[in-house]
Amino acid sequence: MNMILTSTVNGLVLSAIYILVALGFGLQLSIMGIFNFAHGAVYMIGAYVTYGLSVALGLNQWVSLLISVILVGASGLLLEKFCFRPFQSKPTHMIVMAIALIMILETAVEVTLGGVTRALPAFVPGIFKAGSISVDNERVLAFAIGAVLLAALTFLIQKTKIGQQMLAVAQDAEGAALQGIDTHRIAATATVIACATAALSGSLMATIFSMNPFMGDNILLKAIQVVILSGIGSIGGVLVGGLIMGFLNAFLPVLINASVGEVITILIVLGILLIRPKGLFGYELF
Amino acid sequence: MHTESLKRQRRNITIAAICVVVGLLFALPQLGLSVYFMHTLIGVFIWIIVANSLRLLGLSGQGSIGHAAFMAIGAYTSAILAKFLGWSPWITMPIGVLVTVVVGFLVAVPFTRVRGIYFTMVSLFFGIGVLAVNQVFNKWTGGYSGIISIPRLFAYIKTPYYYFCLALMVICLLIMYRLEHSRIGLTWKAVAQSYSVASSIGINEAWQRILCLGVSCFFAAIAGVAYAHYYVILTQETFSFNTSINVFVYMTVGGAGLFAGPIAGTAVLLIIPELLRDLREYVPFIYAAILLIVLFLMPQGLAGLPAQLWQLIKRPARAKRMASEKEVGERAP
Amino acid sequence: MLLDIHGLTKNFGGLIAVDHLSMSVGEGQIVGLIGPNGAGKTTVFNLITGVIRPSAGKVEFDGKDVTGKSPHILAKSGIGRTFQLTPLFTDFTTLENVVASYYLHPRSGFWDSLFNTPKYRHNEAYALEQSLKILDMVGLSKVKDERAKNLPHGYQKMLGIARALAVQPRLLMLDEPLGGMNTDEITFTMDIMAKVRGLGMTILVIEHNMQILDLCDRVVAINFGQKIGEGSVKDIRNNPDVIKAYLGEQNVA
Repeated sequence: MNMILTSTVNGLVLSAIYILVALGFGLQLSIMGIFNFAHGAVYMIGAYVTYGLSVALGLNQWVSLLISVILVGASGLLLEKFCFRPFQSKPTHMIVMAIALIMILETAVEVTLGGVTRALPAFVPGIFKAGSISVDNERVLAFAIGAVLLAALTFLIQKTKIGQQMLAVAQDAEGAALQGIDTHRIAATATVIACATAALSGSLMATIFSMNPFMGDNILLKAIQVVILSGIGSIGGVLVGGLIMGFLNAFLPVLINASVGEVITILIVLGILLIRPKGLFGYELF
Repeated sequence: MHTESLKRQRRNITIAAICVVVGLLFALPQLGLSVYFMHTLIGVFIWIIVANSLRLLGLSGQGSIGHAAFMAIGAYTSAILAKFLGWSPWITMPIGVLVTVVVGFLVAVPFTRVRGIYFTMVSLFFGIGVLAVNQVFNKWTGGYSGIISIPRLFAYIKTPYYYFCLALMVICLLIMYRLEHSRIGLTWKAVAQSYSVASSIGINEAWQRILCLGVSCFFAAIAGVAYAHYYVILTQETFSFNTSINVFVYMTVGGAGLFAGPIAGTAVLLIIPELLRDLREYVPFIYAAILLIVLFLMPQGLAGLPAQLWQLIKRPARAKRMASEKEVGERAP
Repeated sequence: MLLDIHGLTKNFGGLIAVDHLSMSVGEGQIVGLIGPNGAGKTTVFNLITGVIRPSAGKVEFDGKDVTGKSPHILAKSGIGRTFQLTPLFTDFTTLENVVASYYLHPRSGFWDSLFNTPKYRHNEAYALEQSLKILDMVGLSKVKDERAKNLPHGYQKMLGIARALAVQPRLLMLDEPLGGMNTDEITFTMDIMAKVRGLGMTILVIEHNMQILDLCDRVVAINFGQKIGEGSVKDIRNNPDVIKAYLGEQNVA
């Protein structure tokens, strides 16, 4: 009973983080048509900036988080302009670009702080109790922030003008450009949102689990799996895909064993790619 | 007629240069090559085979970022047979290659359903899946800690390995070059450009893509078994996602459009870090810097650099003339 | 008859794109399939060449049922085709485009190609020689070393025909060969088509442009996926339904 409860809570937390990272990844994929493999490294940098500001410089942790999100988000502008835009129509070059970015970011952290595993102190230390259920506050927080952010992003995309323009570019970049939409501005906005949410998710995850310079590699693969599962261009799809992946990753290691669980997850993803390349809810991009 | 003879002359020069380089490589051990550098070069030979097999797959329009998985299948098959059944590596190596080719053909059948970036995604998850399977069968493969003391091909000296891997590389490259420049390569390139046009002229494009993957697996597996019996240790990291990505980077940075591309890319990206090994922890920066320089300044990759420089030095006048002609041509109607 | 079509039907969801179309093409004829834009011509074309499968109906080629067969099987059985929009291997040169299209006759196997056997070399020499002949016939010899993507539109269309000829088809299917061409190019293309018929080839041509009628032995006119007229060129020119279909379109435009 207790095991199921713990796994359910874990599943929810993992889902929230996967969904946030996958949304950023998917946003860049649908709007710019690029597979940004460096997204995991951005997530890692977000966690380390928060860590550096709060632990090394002694700033308030919430302020550190805010600065980290703003800084990393703003760096998205540079990323889009200098790293993504020149390679938008060259997927192979884009992959190499991402590798270069990952190497620079991961090595920079490794050289300055060392490759050791660290932990970011909890934002709200303590344990949350409701009846017979007790969960770390940190997990509740991660889930709550994830849910709020998700709602905000959905609102942004569905209800605001810039969100509508994003959808238009995602569906037909050329047509959108003909209608006078500034596609570069939309791409920059998408990258900023993606980087900011990655920084936030990285910081939250670093309090629950731990952080090291390579923490982004795993989450990147999970995000890609969510995007493949859900298909591109559907926020609701990413939600469901994220929940499926979150719960698979929370339950399978406990129910069977980690490596068989991994094989099953991969088989599901491969199956979906081969049978329904558009994903469960999406439309084909290329 | 004039351009024909010029072409033939250039071809002869290229062939002569290649013979000199290969001859030099064969002579190096006699010229007092250090054991350390010999070790590096053996690695270079093995990875050149893989990088070129990846480019071969790319000819049919299939870009893979999970190619190390096929190396892994060959390497583990051969290593396990040699270690646990005590068979000679000379027998297990061909078996490893054969198994990989069979697996390659089998997985290629469902893979033909996807194209372009979707194929790349499939290859990524196939690569991760093979690693995960490796974990499940850790009784045989050793899982994370890996499989160690795999039987060797030769005793503990490096020179025979050096000659073996060099010869293997030369033979593999010759076959791949021949494949590309025969009708097989022409057909694959046709499939890559337009599968609908290709099928309209009678090409069974799905089969051609399967064939291409199978042939590419053959070479990847050759490199894999050579790796297994030279390094005599295989771990989870050996054929990880990073390995696949590295091979992809060797190919792209060297220049995926040119046969010499993966060769140049692998050599430069493997040898430079070795030369700079005193700066150990900063090596990734240098590596990344090479990638960025190539991305922004060399559209044809490292192997395209000589042609690019030649163009820059010799032909500015002609380029200018052609540009002005083009302008006139465009204005005419 | 070389090509026989019986009751060919295609539904896309609820939309009927082609509705019980029957027609036939006799050996050595040039048959035109005409109709206004959106009449379902290209769908018919794709149904015959196996790009999409029909919902109902039958396609017979040379007495054999070829309904729903893959495009490469149809090419093997003797149908060559051109494409309206992406007619070429864009990164190949003009000559490479045609040489690559000599894939079926003569056919070189994998091992022959790999080991460069005398048979392979003979085949390749033949393919090269024939390709140069075809390029000469369609007037593309002077641009044989240009990359196909750099060719002007009219040349690209002509190269599409050259490529289809390399399949050595018994039936050549042309998808809007006159589309987007100027008057000179139209005259030139129609000359080539006449030459091709002279080689004993059967042609089924799909065209929006009525000028094609000058060449045709028989014409089938369709609109909204249904046959609205069939017969000689004269019949079609005087067919009130055909006139209405085309006039209606002009009114809309």
